[in-house]
Amino acid sequence: MKRKLCTLGFLTLALVALTLGSAWAETIRIGLMCPLTGSWASEGQDMKQIVELLAAETNKAGGINGNQVEIVVEDDGGDPRQAALAATRLTTKEISAVIGTYGSSVTEASQNIYAESGILQVATGSTAIRLSEKSLPLFFRTCPRDDEQGTVAAKTLGDLGYGKIAILHDNTSYAKGLADEAKSLLEAAGKTIAFYDALTPGERDYNAILTKLKSAAPDVIFFTGYYPEAGMLLRQKMEMGWNVPMMGGDATNNPDLVKIAGNQAAEGFMFLSPPVPADLDTPEAKAFMDAYKAAYGNAPGSVWAVLAGDAYRVIAEAIAQTKETSSEKLAAYLQKEMKDFSGLTGKISFNEKGDRVGDLYRVYKVDAAGAFVLQP
Amino acid sequence: MKSSTIYYLAFAAAMAVCPLFLNAYWTDVFNNVGLYAILALSLNVILGHCGLFHMGHAAFYAIGAYTAAIINTSYGIPILWVMPLAGILAGIFAMIVARPIIHLRGDYLLIVTIGIVEIVRIALINNVFDITGGANGIFGISRPSVFGYKISKPDQFFYLIWGFAAVTIFLLLRLEHSRFGRALMYIKEDEVAAGGSGINVAHHKLVAFIIGAVWAGMCGTIYASKMTIIAPESFSFAESVVLFTIVILGGSGSIPGVILGSFLLVGLPEVFRGLAEYRMLVFGAAMVLMMIFRNQGLLPPGPKNYNVADLLQAGGGK
Amino acid sequence: MEEFFQQLTNGLAVGGIYALIALGYTMVYGVLKLINFAHGDLFTIGAYLGLTLLVSMGLFDKIGPLPAVILLAVMVMILVAIIGAILERVAYRPLRQSPRLSAVVSALGASIFFQNAIMAIYSPKFLVYPHDILPKAAINVLGMDIPIMRIIMFMTSLVLMAALYFFIQKTKIGTAIRAAAIDQGAAKLMGINVDRVIMLVFCIGPALGGAAGLMVGLYYGQINFSMGWMFGLKAFTAAILGGIGNIPGAMVGGLLLGVIEAMGAAYISIAWKDAIAFCVLILILIVRPTGLLGERVAEKV
Repeated sequence: MKRKLCTLGFLTLALVALTLGSAWAETIRIGLMCPLTGSWASEGQDMKQIVELLAAETNKAGGINGNQVEIVVEDDGGDPRQAALAATRLTTKEISAVIGTYGSSVTEASQNIYAESGILQVATGSTAIRLSEKSLPLFFRTCPRDDEQGTVAAKTLGDLGYGKIAILHDNTSYAKGLADEAKSLLEAAGKTIAFYDALTPGERDYNAILTKLKSAAPDVIFFTGYYPEAGMLLRQKMEMGWNVPMMGGDATNNPDLVKIAGNQAAEGFMFLSPPVPADLDTPEAKAFMDAYKAAYGNAPGSVWAVLAGDAYRVIAEAIAQTKETSSEKLAAYLQKEMKDFSGLTGKISFNEKGDRVGDLYRVYKVDAAGAFVLQP
Repeated sequence: MKSSTIYYLAFAAAMAVCPLFLNAYWTDVFNNVGLYAILALSLNVILGHCGLFHMGHAAFYAIGAYTAAIINTSYGIPILWVMPLAGILAGIFAMIVARPIIHLRGDYLLIVTIGIVEIVRIALINNVFDITGGANGIFGISRPSVFGYKISKPDQFFYLIWGFAAVTIFLLLRLEHSRFGRALMYIKEDEVAAGGSGINVAHHKLVAFIIGAVWAGMCGTIYASKMTIIAPESFSFAESVVLFTIVILGGSGSIPGVILGSFLLVGLPEVFRGLAEYRMLVFGAAMVLMMIFRNQGLLPPGPKNYNVADLLQAGGGK
Repeated sequence: MEEFFQQLTNGLAVGGIYALIALGYTMVYGVLKLINFAHGDLFTIGAYLGLTLLVSMGLFDKIGPLPAVILLAVMVMILVAIIGAILERVAYRPLRQSPRLSAVVSALGASIFFQNAIMAIYSPKFLVYPHDILPKAAINVLGMDIPIMRIIMFMTSLVLMAALYFFIQKTKIGTAIRAAAIDQGAAKLMGINVDRVIMLVFCIGPALGGAAGLMVGLYYGQINFSMGWMFGLKAFTAAILGGIGNIPGAMVGGLLLGVIEAMGAAYISIAWKDAIAFCVLILILIVRPTGLLGERVAEKV
């Protein structure tokens, strides 16, 4: 009985806190849904850092149209069910728009909820094609799609003259999506797919897989998974004494890749990625890099967190230009009027599906010192 | 019996008016509580009443959800009609899988059920038979509609879920007080004695598994239609752990205990959202402390009182 | 054929690690009949502590690589042993007289606690051990290049396991542990301080797990707060495979599981590798529930 009372007490307190919280009306409230706990905690925490940094800068400069900006953060735990709860919670907090999230199935779980509540959603780390094929007028994304990356991957592999390609993914929806795209495009171009299978993320020993790959004798390995596994693969491949070139997708773009693999193993590794701010010449990118370094000491690790920063900036720009905070007006602005907005990852415009237009993907190569060099 | 009926009715009345006072978010939290409560109640039959160490309940849930999702998206059959089918398929799966392992001793059964839930998850991710959609899962599941009334908002789902929960609680109460329920509890207390009293132990255990699975499968249908997308991550071993913990923490074998357990285990992390990264840390510590200080659970099943005189009068009784 | 031997060595190397972790599970189960779900996290703690000690003390610069590794291993093992003993005292001892399920839930709670504590203290990012500590040379056996480190790792696992086996079989304290595993009540009557014995088991088991964590960190280089989960589950499977409560069983089970996984990956499919391992486990449990070498736990009739 005591427990029931305690629970009731907690719930009442929480309810009161919520109602009090929604009484603030003067500030512009932008929601941020990201994985603060769970397997993607490092991405989510980076996203939060960048968005809060940008918001603080906006506020220091006087806010948007004179109003201060507040970022309302909710944790989605990298899990669809928690994401649905986080999304429902955000819809009760009177936000004009929401940024997020990382992970296609996690974003998908929240899409309907935001759509039904009429809230603008700008996704940042969800590249599955189907997310923008649902005719949701309030859904946008600053990240590119798997089909674009697949096209660039197939083209790059073709340009480099590889005929026999091994494709390795990790069975997550992102990696498999990209792997499938690349596979069908490569096959259409007449290349041989020497190997197509998935590894288990989180393991440490990939020697069994590398041994099997070696016996398939490919010209190149295309790995579509994440940077920890990519780093391990590179390192173990080198230890095996096997020199086959390896190429990765954008999830391998992280400085820790070189740390894990070691400079020697990582040299020559190529990957696709939207350009990082450090490689852009625009004043916004430079200012952002300076501010980030000043606040946190080093460059941002993940390009996905930077894409979250871009999501914030497009929303802020839309609010500033339209002088409105209703989601329909902001969405209309983003779709029709935003053209070549100078983002932290390049120029941003959106098409009628809410996808980012433009050729976003570039090829990077790791040099002997472990630096990521943008290829022309 | 009488006083507990009053408690149940009071609880039902309180729940019925809840959506009027809660905003969409808290209604949705209660929806999640409801889903977990139904699942935990189905696990209670296996774990609480029958005492079988079962940590693979998410597998039955997954089979039900995926069956419903696949049939709904491939053939367009309304989701509520698919519900019994999903339950039955989960039950058949339980029958096939539980048959060979039913005689295993407690801890071994635990491990095998862990293995089963992992195999199911891996099979789903690997797109077994090419119908599960792999890591992407299945999307585009339609929302349920009752006689043309479409259910999509949290408060509409509230009534659907808690309505189903009420039916579940009612049926499980009947089960608890039935001959079969008593047989299960006898098996939990002392398997050898139960066998000696003429109870077909293996048969009862198997039926307990099947009942639990069928209910979990039907609950999976509701979950699938609520989320409209399902992915293998939602059916991992961690989910089984949550269900297992709800039953044990709430009071294994006790229906009110399990309901309270789901309120706490699902509701409290939401209340603690303010703790952000430390939420799960507190949760883990709380689990340990709970077990140390009150390990029979919050509301353990009380002793059952039977009026012997009445029973003798009625000539043997139920 | 060459691929077969290559995969065999791959499997044995990984299996050595599984075996070391499995020993911790099996010892605890033998004495307490408890599946210590937090054991995988003790393994992770070992890896993290190793990194902290390595980086903060700069050992490799002061003394050569070999003495540094041994010193590091000793320190990590002692620290993880202490944590293991604290875990037992706080989470399991109060539940000695309670039904088994309570201890299981407590173990799960402890596991969640440890994982999130590591994440909170160290950050959720993947941490990396410094490179170039260990020799990268490979020797050529039967036409394959096997890195020396894998052989050393495998040998270390065997040495530790053998040491444990002799300890349990030949020393007085080892006999006390075996006695407590067979019947706690009778052991008490024989004058054995069962509490002390259990604490010792919770020192040795986690120490071995911590050593395995350190090895994984040193060799594979990359550690993460959730790595204990997968390794723990596999090691646990290995312990069951060999016969839980049985120390040679844990060794055999670990090596066998490593090889089965490698062969499954090579000849069936990499993506289904884990499912294959679990299927083997279930088959063994159905056909021969006490494991390959049989369990050494008294059966309650």
